[in-house]
Amino acid sequence: MTPLDFLYAAGAAWLAAALAGLLAARTPGGLRACCALSAVGGAAAAAGGGWSLIYGNTALVSLGAPTVTGGPLQLQATSLAGAFTALLGVVAVAIAMYAPRYHEPSLGTGLYLAAYNLALLACLGVLAAGGMVTFLVAWETMSLACYLLILRHPRSGESARGAFWFLALSEAGFLLVVAAFVILSAKTGSTSLPGIAARAAAVPGGWRAAAYLLALAGFGFKAGLVPLHVWLPEAHPVAPADGSAFLSGVVVKLGIYGIALFAFRLVVPAGTWPGLVTMGGGAVTAAIGILYAMAERDIKRFLAWSTIENAGIIVTAFGAAMIFHASGQQALWTFLLIAGIYHVANHGCYKSLLFLEAGVTEHTTGTRDMDRLGGLVRQLPRSAVIAFVGTLGIAALPPLNGFVSEWLIFQGLFQGFRTGSHLTGILIVLAAGTLGLTGGLAVYAFVRGFGIPYLGMPRTRQAAAASEAGQPVAGPGLLAVACVALAVGVPIVLAALSRAARTVTGVSLGPLLLPGKLTVIPAHADFSAFSPTYLAVFLVCALAVPALIYLAGRPRAGSVSVPVWDGGIVSFRPRMQYSAMTFSAPTRVTFDALYRPAVSVTRQSDDDPAGRSGPVHYEARVAPVFQRYLYQPAVRALEWLADLVRPIQSGDVNLYLLYVFAVILLAYLLGAV
Amino acid sequence: MTLWFIRGIRRGVVTTRYPAKPDTSARYLPTPPAFRPRQLTGQVADRLVAACPSSALRREDGVLIYDVGACTACGRCAAEAPHAVTASGAFELATTDRSVLIKRIPLRGEAR
Amino acid sequence: MTAEELRETIARQFGRSLHIRTLDTGSCAVCEQEIRLLAAPHYDLHRLGFFFTPAPRHADLLLVTGPMIRAFEVAVRKTYAAMPGPKVVVATGACALGGVYPEDPFTHGTVGAVLPVDVWIPGCPPSPLALLHGLGVAVGKLAERVRDLSFTAPDYTERAGGDS
Repeated sequence: MTPLDFLYAAGAAWLAAALAGLLAARTPGGLRACCALSAVGGAAAAAGGGWSLIYGNTALVSLGAPTVTGGPLQLQATSLAGAFTALLGVVAVAIAMYAPRYHEPSLGTGLYLAAYNLALLACLGVLAAGGMVTFLVAWETMSLACYLLILRHPRSGESARGAFWFLALSEAGFLLVVAAFVILSAKTGSTSLPGIAARAAAVPGGWRAAAYLLALAGFGFKAGLVPLHVWLPEAHPVAPADGSAFLSGVVVKLGIYGIALFAFRLVVPAGTWPGLVTMGGGAVTAAIGILYAMAERDIKRFLAWSTIENAGIIVTAFGAAMIFHASGQQALWTFLLIAGIYHVANHGCYKSLLFLEAGVTEHTTGTRDMDRLGGLVRQLPRSAVIAFVGTLGIAALPPLNGFVSEWLIFQGLFQGFRTGSHLTGILIVLAAGTLGLTGGLAVYAFVRGFGIPYLGMPRTRQAAAASEAGQPVAGPGLLAVACVALAVGVPIVLAALSRAARTVTGVSLGPLLLPGKLTVIPAHADFSAFSPTYLAVFLVCALAVPALIYLAGRPRAGSVSVPVWDGGIVSFRPRMQYSAMTFSAPTRVTFDALYRPAVSVTRQSDDDPAGRSGPVHYEARVAPVFQRYLYQPAVRALEWLADLVRPIQSGDVNLYLLYVFAVILLAYLLGAV
Repeated sequence: MTLWFIRGIRRGVVTTRYPAKPDTSARYLPTPPAFRPRQLTGQVADRLVAACPSSALRREDGVLIYDVGACTACGRCAAEAPHAVTASGAFELATTDRSVLIKRIPLRGEAR
Repeated sequence: MTAEELRETIARQFGRSLHIRTLDTGSCAVCEQEIRLLAAPHYDLHRLGFFFTPAPRHADLLLVTGPMIRAFEVAVRKTYAAMPGPKVVVATGACALGGVYPEDPFTHGTVGAVLPVDVWIPGCPPSPLALLHGLGVAVGKLAERVRDLSFTAPDYTERAGGDS
């Protein structure tokens, strides 16, 4: 019995769920059956993934006869993929618990769920792929299935646009990934991943670097690295909430898995510069991601940009790991791999949670615009508490899981001085500084992201009328529990991840990382130590101090209890509160050069000859720099090239016959040669 | 900065010593009126009541009710009947009891 | 606590340091100008231990001007409630004492209609000296004078002997 058997079970369950969705989701019972099967698959995947972390790599399994596409189906459950598979499983279970109350039973839902479960299956295929062809086929299937996911609600072109961006960039990335794999398999002579990994050291450094860079760019499209990220803010708002949760929680992580696969297992490029490029790209992505998140009013676009930020953090960690490996610091190489994967798991949990809650918000209030919400903590108390747990996690506040993984990444980056090269050390410090900026902005952004919709007074009647009846709570609740478990069970998680990392890097960090049961020595023995468990206990006890003071100092008889002094305001109006954009105004003003807002102000008094005052219309748009300066020129260049080639299609049949004749002649001549 | 300091030293202390010592500028303050009862006939009293814009004066039988608290020291009563009204010069008018500020001034030739 | 105890407490606690919160309930702001002059070098209320504070939570004395317009009543009650005891309310200015707008439909006419006033300071506006005297009366340091004044003057023909 190996973990791979669990993955088989998961795959079978998801295939069955896809069929059930296709056939039966028009009825509530069928919808629930489909989701139950999906949950079973998720549980199996989670179990299999978790087990394979400690089991190690299974043997390569070849299924089916060699086909014309290049080989049989090759599967292998690796430890590196184990964490990602476990995350896939947990998110799948949570979404399966969420979906029956979120979707209406209908034909559209059935098709959607079929596509979704197919996407789950394809993700599993990517993670369990043991061979190049299996990987690529699964990857492309996943992209197409996700494209169908995003198209669930085709309304007025908005959905089509988001889905198109996703597909276009997925295909661009796929091309690069295929190129990378082809280079590797051609140079190593094997198409199975273990085979490539074993022989990669013999490949000349230049080819390895080329393969790695192609893979970084190709998987970077999926992971959301700047400037390849453009599909994320377009696709997430239009997909249904659980689809967005799946995209951000799992699909983006698959891009990161691809980068990790190439960086740590398949290619392991030589020299520090691939690591520097990766780390730099990651740091820039993180900073840009959170900065653009600050300018968003739409909750889902905001969360999408935050996903880009976190992907940047993870890739920074991987890049720094590669630098340490090139400098001979194997322990730090392994440590940052562990920290990066920990952050993958954490982010998968809390980002999916936040997206599911955004879906609940959208369904109960009818809007995704933060400036139309407010006071939801009173209308949707359970959802607010769960969203708060997710917000604490993503803002990296102790004692939750986001804090632990970001802390570990920072500890790893702070070891930059051990690389031996001053320049590299300085660049690593710069990356750490960028991550620090990102962390601070993330807290700011998520105070806004939780405070504006959930706290304060409702800004519109729809927000005031929201009700939690019939809304899914168990799914996001499971993810909240997972967040807390990942925070509380730090020793267990780190022990499992070090076992997994050992199969990739050969370095066993377990005893170094966790000398005692509850204390963690990150990165290096004489640098720092911290104990998340004690920290959590301390924080809880610290909360007891104000409670005790309150209890001891309760008003005695004869005192009068009066409301808090609020400046004597007679009645509070919702318009008196911060809006989402005014709250982020300091950042938007400071980073004005990045946003390049196009502001238009029209006053009614402009047109009035008497100059009477009236409504002022103010509009500010953030400039889409990447579309404008990167993608549109690229598309125009492509169109220009196509224009050059157009004369070939003249429409004249005689010319076409001439083409046919010329090609046959050429083939004949070539064959004769 | 230095100029300010030097000017301040030359001018000396300008702070008043009030309430420890009386303030010399107090005699220029506008103050509520005092009435000469011997000049207050009923007719004069009626004219004064009509002239007061802040309802500080009222006439009851034989008495002019004068609410010092309501008086704005506008001087219209003094302009109306200068022989009957003069400045009181009193500015320390604070009290804890509002009724203390309502003075009853007997009119001439009428019983109290 | 009885009036005597309150008086004693006030004299003891506020005699050396009193924090004043000013409240304008619809005045023409001339009273506010005179109040502001109290902090100027000529009158300097800080030498007497009086300080202005914007927060009612930190205030001991509420100095109210204006005829207590009805729209402001909620804010006034909130301000008064936010002040911790012992607290003193001083109404100053002819408007606040019920003079200028007694019948106006938009006002209560006098501060006493909404708040329990401890000290009344007449004047329009009360000069800073009058305000200092009033504040001294509020903390029990100065004696009231107006009780003994009759506001009558002797005739031109009579010898100076009456009081003014």
